[in-house]
Amino acid sequence: MKFGYLPVLVAAAVLSGTASAEVNISGFASVVGGKVLSGNGVPEFGLGPTFLANYPIVGVYEEDWTFKPDSKYGLQFSADLTEGLTATAQLVGRGADDYDPAFEWAYLSYELNEHWTLQAGKKRLPLYYYSDFFDVSYAYLWIRPAADNYTWQIFNYTGINALFNYQLGEWAVSGNIYTGREDDGKNKLLSDYFFRAPVREIWENIVGGVVSFNRDWLDLRLTYMTYENRRFIDGQPRIWSSTGTDTRRGKFMGFSANVDYNNWVLLSELNRLELDNSDLDTYMVSGGYRIGSWTPFVAYADFDSTGEVHNTTSVGVRWDFHSSAAFKLQYDSVNDKGYDGGQVAGDSKAITFGVDLVF
Amino acid sequence: MNWLKKAVLPLCLVSGLASAEVAVIVHPSNNATLDQAEITRLFTGRGATFSSGAKATPLNLADSAPARGEFDSKVLGKSSSQMKAYWSKLVFTGKGTPPKELGSVAEVKAAVAADASAIGYIDAASVDATVKVVAKF
Repeated sequence: MKFGYLPVLVAAAVLSGTASAEVNISGFASVVGGKVLSGNGVPEFGLGPTFLANYPIVGVYEEDWTFKPDSKYGLQFSADLTEGLTATAQLVGRGADDYDPAFEWAYLSYELNEHWTLQAGKKRLPLYYYSDFFDVSYAYLWIRPAADNYTWQIFNYTGINALFNYQLGEWAVSGNIYTGREDDGKNKLLSDYFFRAPVREIWENIVGGVVSFNRDWLDLRLTYMTYENRRFIDGQPRIWSSTGTDTRRGKFMGFSANVDYNNWVLLSELNRLELDNSDLDTYMVSGGYRIGSWTPFVAYADFDSTGEVHNTTSVGVRWDFHSSAAFKLQYDSVNDKGYDGGQVAGDSKAITFGVDLVF
Repeated sequence: MNWLKKAVLPLCLVSGLASAEVAVIVHPSNNATLDQAEITRLFTGRGATFSSGAKATPLNLADSAPARGEFDSKVLGKSSSQMKAYWSKLVFTGKGTPPKELGSVAEVKAAVAADASAIGYIDAASVDATVKVVAKF
């Protein structure tokens, strides 16, 4: 089954605004500025002091002030086609892409019953806890989810998704099961940052699931996904040494536990990607304390694999100064312990601040 | 810590006086029983039916209405900002739609009086015979 044109059709359907449908428009935006205070870069790549705040879109702070890496806006159009059917399209522009707007999401959603909803189209891959709302910074504590964890070059997929929602005693149990593929003709992270040559990155036969358990102040989440990867560098297929062919399989799994109790917030996630017979491990822990509309926080995130090893320590504050806007200020200290060519951007210390809003 | 009490107590008294009781209201024909946990389920999108199995349509007050903040903090146990962050996560991931918002207590009362599936909340002083109170906070 081919899904390639579905997002386009959905986007067209939503925007054409059929006379009977009620179209809701909502949105989000972040305006964030910052700079590297100090850093050593990676001399062997000819890289100066750099804070890589967002891997997939190559959101990079350097020694001059910039507002590009973390600033973005999104507009969501949702058309209620009645009888449980909705069409949703999300237009997103990011500073790192010169704010060029693109239809990041477009899907049809059909409510089967009170417990199950089916969706088809293009959506964000729900790998890590914050993956599918990564751009909606208003919805979380920091300026951005830990860069060391959210490093994967593919973050969307086109396919089918089934969402569920049950109440089991005191526990709200929800989640989704999904399948699909992503064929990124010129992958930004791989092309611009790692290979410095056009890279076509394909993740196919993606099958994954997420289940969350919520009760009062506790939120637990389990995630699993498997996919097959093919890559073309300058048009040439990459032959993987682990398989001896052009295809390799990755398996991703993760666990997250969050607590929100009496103004204390404790957030954590632990993830592993098995690829090429080795493990790429990531984890993040963060804590905050709400004092009225202010929430000071600390965070620590870590990435560990063969060759690529780095972590980030962060401290900052969120201030909910308005009913739909928050000011954030954050200091990040990156420690890049990569070896054998596995360094990413070197050590750095950076300051960022900005405003997130939703409407 | 005496200075702290002196500074904070008057604030508590002021906010205590300002905070009116919130009444959760349904259509007079609705015989469902509702406790705080069930009201929370309906207003956080984790449930869509009353105890009877009938469909429930929650109605929110706009941010500007004082009873909204009272309801969010007393019933849902969150600040209005926390609820907005919660809903933005669901809305922009296609996992949920927040309750419809109405601009005033009068609008909520009229909507609940006119719809057997509706559930809303207003300040207790505004309750009249057109709606039925299922809980007060």
